[in-house]
Amino acid sequence: MRRLIMGLALLTILALAGCEGETPTTDTAGFAGLGADGKGFAQALPGTPLRFPEDHGAHPDYRIEWWYLTANLEDEAGEPMGLQWTLFRQALSPPKETPPDERPAPGPWVADQLWMAHLAVSRGERHAVAERFARSHSRDDGGQAGVTSAPFQAWIDDWRLESRVTEAQRDPLSRLELEAMAEADGDAFGYRLNLTAEGPLVRHGEDGFSQKTADGQGSMYVSQPFYRVAGEVTLDGETRSVSGRAWLDREWSSQMLEPWQTGWDWVSLHLADGRKLMAYRLRGGRDEGRGNYLFANLIGPEGDSTPIGGAEISLTPLETTRMADRDMPTRWRLEVPSHDLDLEVEAPHANRWMDTAVPYWEGEVIARDRESKVRLGVGYLEMTGY
Amino acid sequence: MLTALATLLSHYRRHPGQLAMLLLGLWVASALWSGVQAINASARDSYARAEALFSTGLDGLERRDGEPLTRDDFLRLRREGLAVSPLLEGELEAPDGTRLTVIGIDPLTLPGDSAFATGGGAVALSGFLTPPWQTRVSPDTLPALGVASHEAEDTKPQLDDGRKLPPLSLAPALPPDTLVMDIAAAAALLGSGETLSRLVTAPGALAAAPRGLVLTRADTLASPGQLTESFHLNLTALALLALVVGLFIVQAALGLALEQRLGMLRTLRALGVSGRALVGLLALEMLVLGLVGALAGIASGIWLARALLPDVAATLGSLYGAGVGSDLSLPWHYWLGGLGVSLGGLLLAGSGVLWRAARLSVLGLGQAQAWRAGYYRQLGSMSLAGGLCVLIGIALWGWLSRQPAGEGLVAGFALVAMLLLASALWLPPLLALMLAGLGRLTGRKPLAQWALADVQLQLPRLALAMMALLVALSTNLGVSSMVGGFRLTFLDWLDQRLVADLYLRPPPAQFEAIDTWLSARPEVDERLATRRTDTTLVSVDTGQEGGSRTLDVPIGVYGITPGERLRPSWPLLETLTGREAAWSAFVKGEAFINEQLAIGQGISPGDRLTLTTPDGPASLDVAAVYPDYGNPRGEVLLATPWLAKRFRAPPGSMGIVLAENADEAALRQALAARFDLGRDALRDQREVKQIATGIFERTFTITRALNALTLGVAALALLASLLAQARQRRRQLAPLWALGVRRSRLIRVQLAQLGGVALITGTLAIPLGIAITWGLVAVINVAAFGWRLPLHVFPGEVVLTLATAVTVALLAAALPAITLWRTPPRALLAEEEAS
Repeated sequence: MRRLIMGLALLTILALAGCEGETPTTDTAGFAGLGADGKGFAQALPGTPLRFPEDHGAHPDYRIEWWYLTANLEDEAGEPMGLQWTLFRQALSPPKETPPDERPAPGPWVADQLWMAHLAVSRGERHAVAERFARSHSRDDGGQAGVTSAPFQAWIDDWRLESRVTEAQRDPLSRLELEAMAEADGDAFGYRLNLTAEGPLVRHGEDGFSQKTADGQGSMYVSQPFYRVAGEVTLDGETRSVSGRAWLDREWSSQMLEPWQTGWDWVSLHLADGRKLMAYRLRGGRDEGRGNYLFANLIGPEGDSTPIGGAEISLTPLETTRMADRDMPTRWRLEVPSHDLDLEVEAPHANRWMDTAVPYWEGEVIARDRESKVRLGVGYLEMTGY
Repeated sequence: MLTALATLLSHYRRHPGQLAMLLLGLWVASALWSGVQAINASARDSYARAEALFSTGLDGLERRDGEPLTRDDFLRLRREGLAVSPLLEGELEAPDGTRLTVIGIDPLTLPGDSAFATGGGAVALSGFLTPPWQTRVSPDTLPALGVASHEAEDTKPQLDDGRKLPPLSLAPALPPDTLVMDIAAAAALLGSGETLSRLVTAPGALAAAPRGLVLTRADTLASPGQLTESFHLNLTALALLALVVGLFIVQAALGLALEQRLGMLRTLRALGVSGRALVGLLALEMLVLGLVGALAGIASGIWLARALLPDVAATLGSLYGAGVGSDLSLPWHYWLGGLGVSLGGLLLAGSGVLWRAARLSVLGLGQAQAWRAGYYRQLGSMSLAGGLCVLIGIALWGWLSRQPAGEGLVAGFALVAMLLLASALWLPPLLALMLAGLGRLTGRKPLAQWALADVQLQLPRLALAMMALLVALSTNLGVSSMVGGFRLTFLDWLDQRLVADLYLRPPPAQFEAIDTWLSARPEVDERLATRRTDTTLVSVDTGQEGGSRTLDVPIGVYGITPGERLRPSWPLLETLTGREAAWSAFVKGEAFINEQLAIGQGISPGDRLTLTTPDGPASLDVAAVYPDYGNPRGEVLLATPWLAKRFRAPPGSMGIVLAENADEAALRQALAARFDLGRDALRDQREVKQIATGIFERTFTITRALNALTLGVAALALLASLLAQARQRRRQLAPLWALGVRRSRLIRVQLAQLGGVALITGTLAIPLGIAITWGLVAVINVAAFGWRLPLHVFPGEVVLTLATAVTVALLAAALPAITLWRTPPRALLAEEEAS
């Protein structure tokens, strides 16, 4: 699965961001409304066939969707850096439920899709964040934001993630170019990167259906965790050459959470032995009497998935850091006894709070063996709903 | 203590006239003051809301060629990484005829955190963005839509043409008569398709305008608050004047009431009431009366404001484009403020009375008019204070003349106030001197001598009423001369500027085609094309050493066609070497500047300006200065072709001068048949003039109304203070009657006394009024609007001023005279014995 971030109630939340001083209306439908009823939308179900490259593009019949990229990089002097670029899509009205006279007819400004994008660059204690919003109509491919599958292009304004693959038989996502620049207080930050996949696409869960609740809610979830990255990153107006690894998540759904699920913790790791590990914990669920729903995927160097159920994995906070009026766990214990993994996952820099319209924590982590403290890999951690 | 208070108050039971006069003074003073303050408070609230609206606080982009921007332009600029947001503006007519501004926004790209909050609170964005959408509207717009406030939410008001607005959602922070909705809803409502009114960006987000576009910085748009400040100051000054005049009445009434109660006060003191307690009781009495008067005043003030606000709103709308709700909205501090000012004024007016009461001598029995003795000393200090005011006035004038023009509005009003105060303070000494002089001239005419002496005796009390009358008369004369003069000048100026017979505003794309078509028509004698754009005045160079100044002020550039019809009539205020030379220089590409720019930046003909153009800085010589009434901005005038070439200004309107005996109707029909022009595209000169004159007339409706009210208050003051003493006057007349003077003669004497004093006051008011007119047109107007008006004096107004003074005085004298006529001689004698 993947950081179910927000897509959803983009809507509700944007409105909250705009209402200074007023009491936000409490949204009970899970974090960022992701637990809202998906009636009238296409549903992510086990057995939903995946077809590429078509499924790299947008799925406007589903309520929410994202293209989510994180990267652990180093500059030429070996200083670590992290970055994130995300494009979220959210449908404004269910295509099947909306009465004909209220269904958006394609007019010049009429929209049925809402877009939100996040850009973040981190180095040491610096953490620069920008966000953008746009509207589009699903019958219009030339809008302010959108995603097309052939050729693969995801864009909002001048931020873009594009395929550089020319051969028809290769997966369009296997070579990408990412460019996004923003400005804060007169200083530019952002990146121009080339991404080359060194492995295949990975389907999580049940051939791409990733269950998120004990009741069977879930999403379609595919990753490309094998990117090698080279390019330039700019922070505080200073540009450096960088290289490293990146992870792209693709996920779409219409009802991801149960209304009572409050948030999640998600981690992706590039392990030193070439394996990748993705694990998530959905908090506030009812299954297994523990209130949390856990799942992991241990991906071999060739892209083979090993699904790991909730009983075989534990994800436990060890230490919290106070930020933005809440305690965020910034050191974790991640155990998969069946695969002999007992990791300590720690954020070297705690201040990776995304102070965006939908706020959350997203930052680089280092994974070490809990016993020997030997460094086993790097990755990204996401925490929402705190 | 209660007994003492009851005793004090019992005076008013015996003299209800005095009570009425006291309350009347308080009432009118606080009514006018609080009325104007209510108008100001309401207007400021509207400005604050307008300034908070996105369309005013953001930089704007429009196409240089005047064509509308489209959605493709928006998308292209976004793809280039420019943080622009689309804005669509249009007008709708509400069922009751109100013009409503429709603003379509895209909340997703609109800059600023508070931008969306402006549109209203935490309503889910999806409701705003998706059909049936929402109309954000402030509650004071609901009446125009014919919707009651309790049923407003989610109603879909229908317009006369059948179109329906999206469901309403109340947003009190929005300015009046403004509908905010999603741009998709606005585009559907206005039928504007893919076109936009403009693109907006966060202030300063763009360093320069993208190619082909013009960038208008938010900070170059004067906010309505700034523009209208002078207007409100004007109103406030008039209201303050009314307050002062009202307080004159109050002081006269209080003085009289104290004087007549001196005996009673002494008795109370002798009975053991302490001096301090007495003063406390008098203060309490004042407070109670003050509260009653002020509350009544505030209530009437609000009524007055309700009555005047529609005119005020219309004026501000047409003069400055500032939307002001025609409903009153009053913050809580307004009420406290009104009460505070009224009570404070009362205390100030009554302080003298309290002070005298505190120094009351218990033994001074029998000296009925205790402070008469010191009156001549008082006259001396009045002269001194008046002199001081004159000195302050001269100092202010000296300071003002060294200020850059366009500043010192408050100082200008202070100067006029000093002038008024000095004249008011000098009036009693002057009257005393004249009476003394006349006394010497009358020789051996006992009755005349008596009359003069009697007036001198009355002077202390009469003086206050006369001061109020002087102030009111001269202000009235000053303001009406200013308005009248402005009217003459403005109408003349309209005639000079509007020389074409028809005015056409074609769509920019059709301009060339229409122009060519018109040039071939036999009906058309001359075509006067105009263009208009914005630029920055970078610097001015006077040609002398060190005469170059960097200014960097935003100004307008206006292009006219200096043809046969326009040149002879276009008014010029100042040229370098005469009209003819100025016009030939103009045709060659030199510039004229408007008076606002000349005064505001200190530029005169012969100076050289540097302006920014799309091709870099351009230098222009100033050939002349022209009057430009009603324009709040500085403006440079050029020949239209230069404006098109150098500034790439889009085509604007076109004046059409018809040939002699041309068939106007045929031309109109042919034009409409050949080109698809909107309903409002073609106007004739009469219509334009009518609109301009209409705007002008409404502008001064309020000034005139307040002015008349102030004069009315002063007349009431005089009448009231004279009536209050009528009984006492009878007692003084009784001995004369007893000595054999006939009653008819006595009445004539009385009328002559008051009429004479009023005539003197009125005569003094004339030069003072003219001085005030000068202060208004030459000082305040320049500071407020940036243009000077010629000084006009209207004999009719002068005569009216004198007539008002004398009529009021005679009326005031006639009423006691009539009662004297009717009183049996026996009663008069009885009164004399009783006193």
